[in-house]
Amino acid sequence: MSYYLKLGGVLLLIAAIASGVLAFVNGFTRPIIDENRRRAEEEARQEVLPAAEEFTLVENDFSYYIGYDSGGEIAGYTFLASETGYSGIIQTMVGVDRELKIRNIKILEQTETPGLGANAARPEFTGQFRDRRPEELILDKEGGEIVTITGATITTRAITNSLQKAIRSLSEDLLSSSGRASNIITE
Amino acid sequence: MGLLKEMTKGFVKENPVFIMALGLCPALAVSTSIANAIGMGLAATFVLFCSNLLISLIKDFIPGKVRIPCFIVVIASFVTIVDMVMNAYTPEIHKNLGIFIPLIVVNCVILGRAEAFASRNSVLKSVFDGVGMGIGFMLALVLVAFFRELLGAGQLLGFQIMPENFQPVLLAILAPGAFLTLGLLMGLLNLFKNKEAD
Amino acid sequence: MSNILMLAISAILINNFVLARFLGLCPYIGVSKKLDSALGMGMAVIFVMTMASTITWIIQNFLLIPFSIGYLQTIAFILTIASLVQFVEMVIQKMVPALYKSLGVFLPLITTNCAVLGVSIININEGLSFIEAILHGFFAGIGFTLVLVIMAGLRERLEWADLPESMKGLPIAFIVAGCMAMAFLGFSGFKF
Repeated sequence: MSYYLKLGGVLLLIAAIASGVLAFVNGFTRPIIDENRRRAEEEARQEVLPAAEEFTLVENDFSYYIGYDSGGEIAGYTFLASETGYSGIIQTMVGVDRELKIRNIKILEQTETPGLGANAARPEFTGQFRDRRPEELILDKEGGEIVTITGATITTRAITNSLQKAIRSLSEDLLSSSGRASNIITE
Repeated sequence: MGLLKEMTKGFVKENPVFIMALGLCPALAVSTSIANAIGMGLAATFVLFCSNLLISLIKDFIPGKVRIPCFIVVIASFVTIVDMVMNAYTPEIHKNLGIFIPLIVVNCVILGRAEAFASRNSVLKSVFDGVGMGIGFMLALVLVAFFRELLGAGQLLGFQIMPENFQPVLLAILAPGAFLTLGLLMGLLNLFKNKEAD
Repeated sequence: MSNILMLAISAILINNFVLARFLGLCPYIGVSKKLDSALGMGMAVIFVMTMASTITWIIQNFLLIPFSIGYLQTIAFILTIASLVQFVEMVIQKMVPALYKSLGVFLPLITTNCAVLGVSIININEGLSFIEAILHGFFAGIGFTLVLVIMAGLRERLEWADLPESMKGLPIAFIVAGCMAMAFLGFSGFKF
């Protein structure tokens, strides 16, 4: 009996020391990781809505940022669009103007096939979304104007789907909140 | 064996990937570009160094029956440390390597060396062995990545090597290309080994 | 229902764990020499992957997240898998000793099968629900077994093929795997 206790005890001791060391390392890496992510999103926000100088967060059922230009007027909105692509979740930062026309998009996270779906992150692909309305987000294969990446239809479709869904959520929220006070969080 | 020999044996003669067929999963998954191969190679070498060091230090305190789980906890801890540090300081590479960073813990090379070497040899020897295997692993990855990046993207380390009108061999970057490249390289290596033996 | 079917087709064919995700390669190359040991290994792996998916999901959502110790995921998961494999080993040794003999050292090596740890992590990363995670583990195991058995069949034939000395053994196994991967590529983009 004590033999098994000794076995378990050694394993437990090693596991306990390991957990302690990891907690320590986590302590100083987690803030850096969070800061990196916060900064990446901030930069992306600025990139997709260059006309905006200040952003305020709105956290309802759908979260988004309102972008105000230098004159204090609403320049547009920025938000995240997510959808599962071919091999994982694709996360896109989207910037739209007040009429919900897309200003620009930026792919933040994707794990698609390098050389195929991964090319979605390139400006040659994302650039074609500029000045597009939600109704125009149809793939060329289905009669629309969005050029599909060769060999990466799933990736392309996932991105356009995520954009349509997100813009719809945004417009629903804007319509409903124009009548009530929403949770605007000032930074 | 001299200490240096303990290290260099992992480069060619006992190369973990080509000769012992260990660490295959990352060898194929991560070798889409030389940068990723180097990133993974360095991460694995770091873990090998640390785990071989620690395990050969505490080998006398670990009862035989629980040694595998203990090794696993040690290795998993170092892998988690590498994961956290890379996420914080090299986020690009961390994103590219993705799920294969935590999968370093099941990289048969590391557990294999812990069981076969570090648990039976001195600290100094184990360290050299670990580093040697890690470098050998990295060399194998870089070799496969060299061909896959060159043929599949026309680049090396991100620099355009092939002329503008080069049509990349997409297959090289995709899954089949990985298998084929590795198989052909192994065959080539065997050819040289057999020639030497004659 | 069609959701489950889509999950199955995706895990078995489109994103096959061995040929598309590169997970589970060591046993794939190591055990695929004979058809019956390949099948036996496959069954064991299906069981371990399904159980592992279940238990790791519970650990992630009831232990790691509530206590904010997400960084202990790797350790917790791999220890779970190691215990699971130990348990499966004991059961097989008692109930099917012939299989235990033929699998030999490859049975404990299921612990280091990247497919098992891989599917556990993928379930979490893709935000699968409890049932989805279990099913995903099960179908991924089937995909692994499918490819393993096909490979074993091919390799048994290859023993009689007239090959140059340097290509015998591992090299030709990888070339064959490459051809299989090419065939499976045809499944991508499959939808109904």
